[in-house]
Amino acid sequence: MANYYDIDDIITQEEFVSVIFQKAAGGVGIDPSSETDSVEVGSKVELPFWLAHELQLRQAVSMNVPACFNQKTRLEIQADSACVDLRSRSPYFYEFGCKIAPLVADRTIGPLLLSAFKSRYKEVLTKAHTAAYPAASKHLTILTKEETHLYEAAQSSMAAFKKWRMGGPRFQRASILGRKRKSNE
Amino acid sequence: MAGQSDPNLSLFSAEEVEFIAEDEMVEIVPNLRMDALNFICGDFGPFFPQMATQVPLWLAVALKKRGKCTIRPPLWMSVEKLTQVLEAERDSQRVFEQLPFHYVEISRLLFDHARDDIPDVYMVRSLVEDIRDVRFHKVETNLETLNERALALKINNLSAMEVNIVRPFIGRALQAFYKHDSPELIPDQERISDRRPQVANNAARRHLRR
Repeated sequence: MANYYDIDDIITQEEFVSVIFQKAAGGVGIDPSSETDSVEVGSKVELPFWLAHELQLRQAVSMNVPACFNQKTRLEIQADSACVDLRSRSPYFYEFGCKIAPLVADRTIGPLLLSAFKSRYKEVLTKAHTAAYPAASKHLTILTKEETHLYEAAQSSMAAFKKWRMGGPRFQRASILGRKRKSNE
Repeated sequence: MAGQSDPNLSLFSAEEVEFIAEDEMVEIVPNLRMDALNFICGDFGPFFPQMATQVPLWLAVALKKRGKCTIRPPLWMSVEKLTQVLEAERDSQRVFEQLPFHYVEISRLLFDHARDDIPDVYMVRSLVEDIRDVRFHKVETNLETLNERALALKINNLSAMEVNIVRPFIGRALQAFYKHDSPELIPDQERISDRRPQVANNAARRHLRR
């Protein structure tokens, strides 16, 4: 677990996946539609990814392809990927895709992610270094987490450069200066 | 060596890049008599009035602030030379003109501290700004060709500040492309069929590698 402390990685694993139980499970309240505290074989339940993954390792469930990678999304990405609102589908679209692809044995997810990122990357690139912040905010709302990070990396380095070019205070007081006296008193 | 200011922003802040640029040498004409200065970075001087000598930019700026010298602007900082460079930059979509590695920082420092020593300072200033804009736009158009087969980027003659601006973005983008191109996600058959048509496409990518 290389990303054990990565908060994004943790939230990614909270995404819901629909699974079908292969074994009956008693004494668990994870199926809200069930009247008793047990899950029957063949029932379809939405579980967070981390739980579904663990259960699948024990062959208790089988995972379906999550809703954010359905046919409708794919068609939209093929049509005009730059305008698809991927954030509402899943803010961690790419990371989630990378995690889920090997588990659901769907070989088309990988290429889908790559082609979506490739074309959306261009959109981020053209907006990131030029557009003023408020003007681009509408565009920001459809970006996934990863794309937002990319966008902000470019924005902040450009803003830092502009600030430097405009000038301003040339010297910054080091934070440790002027503290010594206070601690003595 | 890493920058100290903000580890998340980029490796170096603009101020740090400027600090590095202050080690570049410039020619000054002192108007005082002074013995040679012995520093860790080297010995400079002795200084005689009206005798031109080479010193680091930080020393030149310090002397200039005290009114002890005039700074001779570097050769590339003339209207003719810069006009030439600007035209060449506009003509070619791919090639970057050869300018000093720290031209953005040096010009900024000289505009701030030695305006009176630069002939046609307004013209020179707007030319430098134009050149920077044209070059940055070129970097952006070049970056559009970035894709999952690029493991690294090589752009010749890019200056320190220009590299510093795009560094966080390129780093992240390359990382993302690398992640999405992992063999676990892209099946091999698909990769091969994907590769074929891109033999022709390779030429487009090569533009970055000059």
